[in-house]
Amino acid sequence: MRKWLERRFALTPQGAGDTMKAILASFLVSLSAYAPACLLLLVIDDFVLGHHRPAAFYIVLSIVILVVILILMFIEYDSMYNTTYRESANLRIEIADRLNRLPLSYFSRHDMSDLTQTIMSDVEAIEHAMSHSIPKFVAFFFYFPLLAVMLIGYNWKLGLIVIVPIALGYGLIALSKRVQIRMNKKYYLQLRKNSESFQEAIENAQEIRSFGLNKTLRSGLNAQMEESEKLHLLSEITSAIPLLLSNIVMQLSLALVIIVGINMMINGEISILVLIAYIIAALKIKEAVDTISENVSELYYLDARIERINDIRSAEVQEGQDTEISSCDISLQDVTFAYNEDTPVLNGVTFEAKQDEVTALVGVSGCGKTSILRLISRLYDYDGGTITIDGKDIQGISTNSLFKKVSIVFQDVTLFNTSVMENIRLGDKNASDAQVMEAARLAGCDEFISKLPEGYDTKIGENGITLSGGERQRLSIARAFLKDAPIVILDEIAAALDVENEKKIQDSLNQLIAGKTVIIISHRLKSVEHVNKIVVIDAGKVEASGTHEELLDTSPTYQKLVKNATLAEQFMY
Amino acid sequence: MFKVYRKLFAYVPEKRYLIYVSVVLSVLSTFAAAGAYYYLYVFFDRLIVEGDFSGSVFYAWVIFGLLIGGNAVYFIGVLASHVLGFRLETNLRKRGIDGLAGASFRFFDLNSSGRIRKIIDDNASQTHSIVAHLLPDIANALAKPFLLLIVGFIVSLRVGICLTILTVAAVLLYAGMSGETQFMKYYQQALERLSAESVEYVRGIQVVKIFNADARSFKALYEAIRDYAKFALNYSMSCKVPWVLLQWFMFAITAILVPFIFLLSGIFTHGPETALELLMLMLLSGVMFSTIMKVMYVVMYSFNGGMAVDKLENMYEEMHKDTLQHGTRESFLNYDIEFDHVTFGYGEKPVLKDVSFTLKQNRSYALVGASGSGKSTIAKLISGFYKVDKGAIKIGSHPLGEYSENALLENIAFVFQDVKLFKTTLYENVALADRNAGREKVMEAFRRAGCESILDKFKDRENTMIGSKGVYLSGGEKQRIGIARAILKDAKIVIMDEASAAVDPENEHELQKAFAELMKDKTVIMIAHRLTSVRNVDEILVIEDGKVIERGNDKELMAEDSRYRFFQELYAQANEWRVREHA
Repeated sequence: MRKWLERRFALTPQGAGDTMKAILASFLVSLSAYAPACLLLLVIDDFVLGHHRPAAFYIVLSIVILVVILILMFIEYDSMYNTTYRESANLRIEIADRLNRLPLSYFSRHDMSDLTQTIMSDVEAIEHAMSHSIPKFVAFFFYFPLLAVMLIGYNWKLGLIVIVPIALGYGLIALSKRVQIRMNKKYYLQLRKNSESFQEAIENAQEIRSFGLNKTLRSGLNAQMEESEKLHLLSEITSAIPLLLSNIVMQLSLALVIIVGINMMINGEISILVLIAYIIAALKIKEAVDTISENVSELYYLDARIERINDIRSAEVQEGQDTEISSCDISLQDVTFAYNEDTPVLNGVTFEAKQDEVTALVGVSGCGKTSILRLISRLYDYDGGTITIDGKDIQGISTNSLFKKVSIVFQDVTLFNTSVMENIRLGDKNASDAQVMEAARLAGCDEFISKLPEGYDTKIGENGITLSGGERQRLSIARAFLKDAPIVILDEIAAALDVENEKKIQDSLNQLIAGKTVIIISHRLKSVEHVNKIVVIDAGKVEASGTHEELLDTSPTYQKLVKNATLAEQFMY
Repeated sequence: MFKVYRKLFAYVPEKRYLIYVSVVLSVLSTFAAAGAYYYLYVFFDRLIVEGDFSGSVFYAWVIFGLLIGGNAVYFIGVLASHVLGFRLETNLRKRGIDGLAGASFRFFDLNSSGRIRKIIDDNASQTHSIVAHLLPDIANALAKPFLLLIVGFIVSLRVGICLTILTVAAVLLYAGMSGETQFMKYYQQALERLSAESVEYVRGIQVVKIFNADARSFKALYEAIRDYAKFALNYSMSCKVPWVLLQWFMFAITAILVPFIFLLSGIFTHGPETALELLMLMLLSGVMFSTIMKVMYVVMYSFNGGMAVDKLENMYEEMHKDTLQHGTRESFLNYDIEFDHVTFGYGEKPVLKDVSFTLKQNRSYALVGASGSGKSTIAKLISGFYKVDKGAIKIGSHPLGEYSENALLENIAFVFQDVKLFKTTLYENVALADRNAGREKVMEAFRRAGCESILDKFKDRENTMIGSKGVYLSGGEKQRIGIARAILKDAKIVIMDEASAAVDPENEHELQKAFAELMKDKTVIMIAHRLTSVRNVDEILVIEDGKVIERGNDKELMAEDSRYRFFQELYAQANEWRVREHA
């Protein structure tokens, strides 16, 4: 039961335990709700049929019932609402921890806003369901059969009359589920199509305007909206009609109990008390069923969200042992890789990047250069072949040990909404302020930092929004200086910068890479002419490798690249 | 709450009558429900008090009929509100589409496409539910308590009074629960913080991983999660006593009253009448309770719905503020471009401050400056799809706003770096630039823009579908398609963002050639990145800090100690820089 709850509603073990308590409490409260009705029956027995009992009996019984119900309700409240918020906090933290251990490939496959939503609103929805629907819903499945057995056991005829219509009504809903799901799916597909067209229309707004396509686009989108409105209505109706029918069937139980019960009473089969009891039962059960069906729709709605959370939980985490890396030679042997199955990116890449050497990767865009850097730094895991550092397969090295040895500087920089000091200190948690400032100086940041309103203590806004591209890039280089890792990976770091900023980064770059194993991709072909080794990548394979002079002889791709670069450089409009 | 609805209904004038249909039918259904309880009472009265069984079958069917009749009427009411709600959703989306079509480019520069879509999409669908489900529920929830009270008073004065007291107590207890508005505000804030921290966390995950920096970046998220949980718990604790009491009164009402009946036996007769009263009170209080529950949901959801409408309206407002007005002028006297004291900014801070200059037709101009200098902004403004804050941009001596939209888009072409392609064939992607052009001309544009080599990549050549499997175009290739479009369009004024090598180094030269082709016999404004390539343009404008600080041709500017010369020299140095060779 506990395991089932955990899986079915994506709960933590603790949460599943708490939910079980809540179910129990809810079950008891539901049962206790019949106690006042029983008391009433005794009173009717007394007042109508004349079976008198002492006043003290009724008073004591009433007080006992009141106290028991009150206590049970308090327990139910605590177990349903209060534990819920502990659970949702635990669930959020668990998901956040989990995300941190996933390979970055997971993030490339999933939209960022989608992931944030998972942490936030999906848990919120589960939280709401936990405190409202789940315990009541599950408890109903325990107490309804119990009640059914009791009702049928006492008087099978009336019992069946109460229970059968309710069960039939339920069956009807279950039967119609398939049609409903199909309709819903159709509608959801249309919705997704709408979203895509909407997105395209917004993304391409400039082109649409500048080529006067507004009208066509608008009428197309509007037609799509109308189409989905129709589908939506259809899907709502298909799900509402079975509900209406089942409701009608369920109402039958009250009418039939009255009709059959009166007959039985006239025939002397039952007393008036039994009749009233079954009428009350029919009314109460209908009331309970109504509440439950509201809960059921909440639970259906929850399914997609639970799936998303379970998806995160079941995603493969990166394995690996803590490993001491002493030499920093990197070797790739027949490496293959694809972001998704049908488009391979790398088809057997083999090369070596030696310690204390600079290795540059060149090739046309889309050839797989950047993917290689991502694999070496285990931001993604390769599919075939091997990548080794210090002779050890990197997939056997924990990311912790690996990232200790690797500094990566990308074209797009991520900064946090905290001070400049803390943003740089990310490179080395234990660095002193003085060390951070030294790193900033080496990266050529001190000049712009000193101009900020509070210097190193200035908060830089969400993702460093208050800084320019060049400033952001220099901060990320400062991080790398501070980290001082023996392996440095640089991916087009100056590509988005203007010439002034590029020059400043160039100045600090040679200091950063001194004495390290360096792998670099540069948009300026010329800048890597003097490195120890240039690896030419073409269509996911290594076409040739060697020094600039060697490649000019051996690699047609390299020759072409150099020729293109030279032409571009000499070109004038 | 009613304000929210008034706002919403303004978007569906054509289906307004459905509001009444839905409300009337929902209220009718509550009459049926109350009627069923009335007949249940009549039935019980005859059974318990009078011991008369005749007509029971009739009552049974009447009760059944009223219940299902009520259901059916309610169903139709809900259907009506759904039709209304879905139309509302559609209309809100359409309104969004209209807004998008009219908004200036500044709006798109400031808001990411994902965000715009999400706001319109999500909030529109939220509003439908507050109309579709809540409208009949509100009608129901407002009418039902009164009818139930009436039934109570019909049973007896005492039952009526008892039920009234219960209802009033319930309402007071409920008010005690939701009265803590201050609390809700903090709670809402905690929720927002949680959301912001989650975004930051997920965005930073790459960095978090690489620097093993979990402890630091986690702290903020952890705190946000804990705070939220704490507020939620506090809120829940504050509701505990009223909520439990509310339920307790409703469920246990008979047990509360029974002792009194026995203690005060002088007031209450111990006969069938009293038993009947107790029975009816129990049944009616049960229905009353579920009705009050519904009211609670209604209030909560209409609050959410109100927020959704506000978000939408804010966005529409923002679009509207930026909506461009076009004039009627169809032709240009000449193609001279003039910036007349132009001030412009995306947000509060102006990017261009009181800029004035003139560009002559049929000449080529290059804009040079650091990133953030405002050079791209100047180029974008000439497109005519921005509203300037002060001053005017004129072409042929008339402000851009005086020209018709058609005149602007026929005479100005621009190719920026982020050329977007539609999910159709390559051919269609170019042909859309001139609907009257024949196949010959389109293919000619492909050829002149140097796109032959792109077409050669694909089996289906110009009929290749963008976005289909295995069709990959690099940034530079997309830009070349963009140039082919502009060539086909053959506008008099061309604004272009020169390819920077960063986009796609191996395509750079191809791009340069394509741009050169596009520039022939046009008035050209180019945002320059590769400073070596602009030496031959007619005039260079150096932009710094939102102002034109120098202008002249290469020779003139190089001859003095200019900012331009500084850039050129820096550029040469950067170009000659080498990654240092190791030992």
